[in-house]
Amino acid sequence: MPSRRLRVGRGAFLIPPLAVVLLLLLGPVVLLALYSLDLLTNIPGTPTALSGDNWNDFLTGPGNPFRGRFLYSMVVTLLVSVGTTVAAYPLAYYLAFVARRLRYTLLLLLIAPFFTSYLLRLVAFSDVLLNDNGVVNQVLWALHLLPRDTAVSWLLYSNFSIFLVLFYSWIPFVSLPIFAVLENMDRRLIEAATDLGASRLSAFWRVTFPLSLPGVIAAFVFVLIPTTGEFIAPLYVGGPSNQLFGNEIQSFFSSSPNWNYGAVLAIALISVVLVLMLIFGRYLNTDLREPATEAAR
Amino acid sequence: MFERPINRRQFLGSSAGVIGLGALGTLGAIDFLAACGSPSATATSSPSPRPPISAENGNLSVLDWGGYEAGGTKAQTSGLLAGTDYTKKYGASGITYAYITNDDQGLQKATSGGPFDIMHPYHENIQDYVNRGLVQPWDTSLLPSFGELNPYLVKAAQVNNKQYLIPWDWGYGSLLYRTDKVDPADATGWELAWNPKYSGKVSLWNGASTNFEIAGLKLGYPSMDNLSDSQLAAAKASLIQQKPLNKLYWDSEYNQEQPNFQSGTVWITYAWQDSLVSMAAAGLKCAFLNPSQGRLSWFGGFMLGAKTQNYYHAHEYVESYINQAACVQMTNLFYYGTANTKVTPDLIKDKTLADSLDLANPQAITSGTNHLQSWAPNRSKLELAWQEVVAS
Repeated sequence: MPSRRLRVGRGAFLIPPLAVVLLLLLGPVVLLALYSLDLLTNIPGTPTALSGDNWNDFLTGPGNPFRGRFLYSMVVTLLVSVGTTVAAYPLAYYLAFVARRLRYTLLLLLIAPFFTSYLLRLVAFSDVLLNDNGVVNQVLWALHLLPRDTAVSWLLYSNFSIFLVLFYSWIPFVSLPIFAVLENMDRRLIEAATDLGASRLSAFWRVTFPLSLPGVIAAFVFVLIPTTGEFIAPLYVGGPSNQLFGNEIQSFFSSSPNWNYGAVLAIALISVVLVLMLIFGRYLNTDLREPATEAAR
Repeated sequence: MFERPINRRQFLGSSAGVIGLGALGTLGAIDFLAACGSPSATATSSPSPRPPISAENGNLSVLDWGGYEAGGTKAQTSGLLAGTDYTKKYGASGITYAYITNDDQGLQKATSGGPFDIMHPYHENIQDYVNRGLVQPWDTSLLPSFGELNPYLVKAAQVNNKQYLIPWDWGYGSLLYRTDKVDPADATGWELAWNPKYSGKVSLWNGASTNFEIAGLKLGYPSMDNLSDSQLAAAKASLIQQKPLNKLYWDSEYNQEQPNFQSGTVWITYAWQDSLVSMAAAGLKCAFLNPSQGRLSWFGGFMLGAKTQNYYHAHEYVESYINQAACVQMTNLFYYGTANTKVTPDLIKDKTLADSLDLANPQAITSGTNHLQSWAPNRSKLELAWQEVVAS
């Protein structure tokens, strides 16, 4: 007797993930929007009424410190993203073109530190490596490069420490998409360029690099988007003047609770991320197999 | 209908349905949140008789500061004896802790997290916990050691003559500084934290209201917890001026404040008196500033969750903290004062320190130039102003 199985149409499979996205992503965003307009409050007994005062203060308030912190964070994010991507390129190039059989072993070594918790690594930076009595200063003392009673104070709780930690944290992730593109590149194109008289540098600049750009842009976006909301690294290794916009938001929702103002900052950040996604999303293509199709779009 | 592939219109139609459901879900969540925040949802005394302790599940949820966990729990590593009587009797496995690092965060977690059976706030927050309907009064007849508690603190922990907080720990807040690094002539008042000579070697606490109290005292506002708008603006400007001198605003006493002081990263830090003991024991030359404007002082204790299902367990838990043996050990371990008046000076091991901190004086926290941290009616303004300081 043939079994009667319920055959579910392809569209129906979209419903569960769509529902999850709506409830867990869009739902909270809607709630944030309502908080930002003072239609909800986290303080019981506080009256609620539609108001754009918090938005007005953030966007137009003279000398608003949160706006300044936002701009500072965007600059930090941009510098970290550019710096990490530029540094990751030679690494990915080495893995793809030079390392040969060792490439996957080296790749594993590159991501090996990530088998340890991010939090532990941050504590190691702050408590073991970079503080005034930390490993770096002790090495400098041992090598007589620094008098015993002094320390390189900008190693920790500074812009330097934030850049260092973010750079260290992101570089393996940034290397991967560039490596993937370089690894999949049609080597015959480079051979053709050299056969036609191009120098190695010229072949790189006119063939390899342009073809690897989708991976570079993907890598750049991989850093850019999460760093806009970063708050853990500044919390552990940043000083009072180096906190990022994400720290302001986190603080508004925890240690100095004002969810209404925090929601304004959160929505502003979400908006920026969305704009960045729209700008860079069109370049996020690492599939080099169908250049003709891509060109036709 | 499930067998046919759907076209674009049908997909959009289905999506719209799901979006509608999502929106309804969101609205439902909003209604739920609104109901949670409405006055009708706040605590009222229940007319029904409470079930006996044997009917309670004993799963206590405690909102506390790190280090204060009950003796006998895995979370407890400080060596505190308090709580041991409870865990010996009822076991430790039912107790769970949520942690806070400052008072504002505590109030926030109590409001939005939980519900908690027991909370550990400080004097200046009592009114806010009551106003938000987060707590209910204790039945002091269930606490055998209650009669031993300092009457001054007991009275100060009441709201509308109801015992909302059982006082337990008290102490001082001031600047801890390295005597081998800081010129004694500079260590006279709170302005030490503003001295540019020590730029990059200062660390204040990331505690919003406390920093405004410090700035208020420095600026000569003795009503440090009731700053007018102009005084608040002046205090904010003063803290913004001080900010670049800080190496960091510390959040955790044990993970940031003390390690940074010990490593020499910081020479001047806001601290409580226990840090003086710990840092001196670590061999550092340090002192606890006695500012010309007066030290801050504080007391805290336990509040009972409005929605607790462990009413009697909560009382037993608190009794295991306020009894004399637990209080003596706590003072000897942390050098904080305790509310139990049977903790006499002869029971305190380090006499010099105990005398210098006036631990035997029941009203030490309000005597002399000490300023007891009290409720700030403009708390939300303070919190926003602190955020502006941090962001500036």
